[in-house]
Amino acid sequence: MEETKNEQLVEHVFRHGYGKIVSFLVHKFGPTHLERIEDAVQEALLKAMQVWGYETPPKNPTSWLLRVANNHLIDTLRRDKKVVQSYDASIFNTERSAQEEVCLNESINDSQLKMIFACCHPSLSQEYQIVLSLKLIGGFGNREIAMALFKKEETIAKSFTRAKKRLKAHVKTLDIPLELALRSRLAIVLKIIYLLFSEGYSTSFGETLIKKDICLEAIRLALLLSQNKYSNQPEVHALLALMCLHTARFEARVDQKGNMVDLEHQDRSLYNQDLIKIGIHHLEKAAVDSEPSNYHLQAAISYYHCTAGNFEKTDWKSILRLYKLQLSKQYSPIVQLNSIVPYYKIHGAQKALGVLHDFEKSDYFLKNALFYGIKSTLLLDLNLTKESKLALQMAISLTTNTKEKLYLSEKLKTMG
Amino acid sequence: MSNFLFLFRGGDATWTEQTPEEMQAHMQKWGAWMGGLKEKEQLVDGLPLAKSGNVVHKSGEVITDGPFAEGAEVVGGYLIVSADNQKDAIEISKGCPIFEHDGNVEVREIMSMNM
Repeated sequence: MEETKNEQLVEHVFRHGYGKIVSFLVHKFGPTHLERIEDAVQEALLKAMQVWGYETPPKNPTSWLLRVANNHLIDTLRRDKKVVQSYDASIFNTERSAQEEVCLNESINDSQLKMIFACCHPSLSQEYQIVLSLKLIGGFGNREIAMALFKKEETIAKSFTRAKKRLKAHVKTLDIPLELALRSRLAIVLKIIYLLFSEGYSTSFGETLIKKDICLEAIRLALLLSQNKYSNQPEVHALLALMCLHTARFEARVDQKGNMVDLEHQDRSLYNQDLIKIGIHHLEKAAVDSEPSNYHLQAAISYYHCTAGNFEKTDWKSILRLYKLQLSKQYSPIVQLNSIVPYYKIHGAQKALGVLHDFEKSDYFLKNALFYGIKSTLLLDLNLTKESKLALQMAISLTTNTKEKLYLSEKLKTMG
Repeated sequence: MSNFLFLFRGGDATWTEQTPEEMQAHMQKWGAWMGGLKEKEQLVDGLPLAKSGNVVHKSGEVITDGPFAEGAEVVGGYLIVSADNQKDAIEISKGCPIFEHDGNVEVREIMSMNM
């Protein structure tokens, strides 16, 4: 008998299923029952693990898990003598038409979207917003989050417990905020997605595989936002473009030994062309008449890097213009520092060094590893090897990122 | 050739601490292992069993909640596997993913009528 072997089950179906079903049930029964819901979903996964190993996994694993979790939840609610709200039982039928399947999917997407807004509720701290999003929507385990964020598992567990308490105190039902409120809440949601993405994207520490999953999860959340008529705003597409264009370069940033590779030396054939195309598509959809957001500008910079044939051919003039726009909107020392690179590429090392010299008046830069890294590059270009090495040594001593330390030390060695 | 009963016990103590991703990975190992047995035509039958059950004594005068002192003794499922002899059956059982989580397999030959 030939059947779909369960190796063919979609990757991450448990993890994604977890997030989907938690959102669905919280939406249905309310955040008060969050712990019971988590237990019910865990129970459903356990059952799936026992049964699916023996048999063909169901065609629609998510709705199977949803049905089992829902039944389990109703059992515990009855046992604990909690009032069970009436609900439309038809969605839990085993036999569903294709149309009903579509309805269920829409309903799941809708509750996930509402869950995003709940997890990013303004009464929650940023730390809580991140951990709630990763756990309740992403379906990541404490261990995975701990590995990705380089924290202790207990720390994540404690933070999650506290975050849940606050969520339950402040969020009674899952809704999408309306009109004006939506605009300001969407800004927080986008910021959290951006932070999630940055956590996943940074090379500083953590397990690479899980980190990439976090990047993809951030993209998935933004896609959910873009599929809803209320939250489908240009900034959402700009953020999507930014994340796709960055993720396209994910593999090229480290070599086979796990060491960092800088932009200049990346193997550009490793860039994921599909993601670049998707990124460009969203960049086009993000078009606005005026006032591009920071996501717009960063996405555009990433676009120029992704599409340049090689480092030297990069459109530095456009990139410098984008940095200047970013700075004119809101000053940020780190953006200013980064803008030196295209400036150097256009105007040469001598001039760039002059600009950099002005920076030295600020304490901020004197403690910044990147500042010395750039300074070292400029000095080397001017054949001032001794000074360049000194700057590089400063950068090495200032960076806390071990991979970066290693990368800079290797660079120092090659300077002889 | 004889048939052997594999009884799986325990191996689920740590499941509640597993992440969804780890649970899926473990489940897929079971599927792969059993799929392999099926392919080699060694798998005769098998099903998972619910965790709770009853033991009926004295024609039903006494019904208890099962003979399980602790979770590790609960039979979580069974397989009927065909193998040349006990030694081969044990060999087959060694590939079972249950060992990843401290479970065990009891291997018993099913007696044949044509002895």
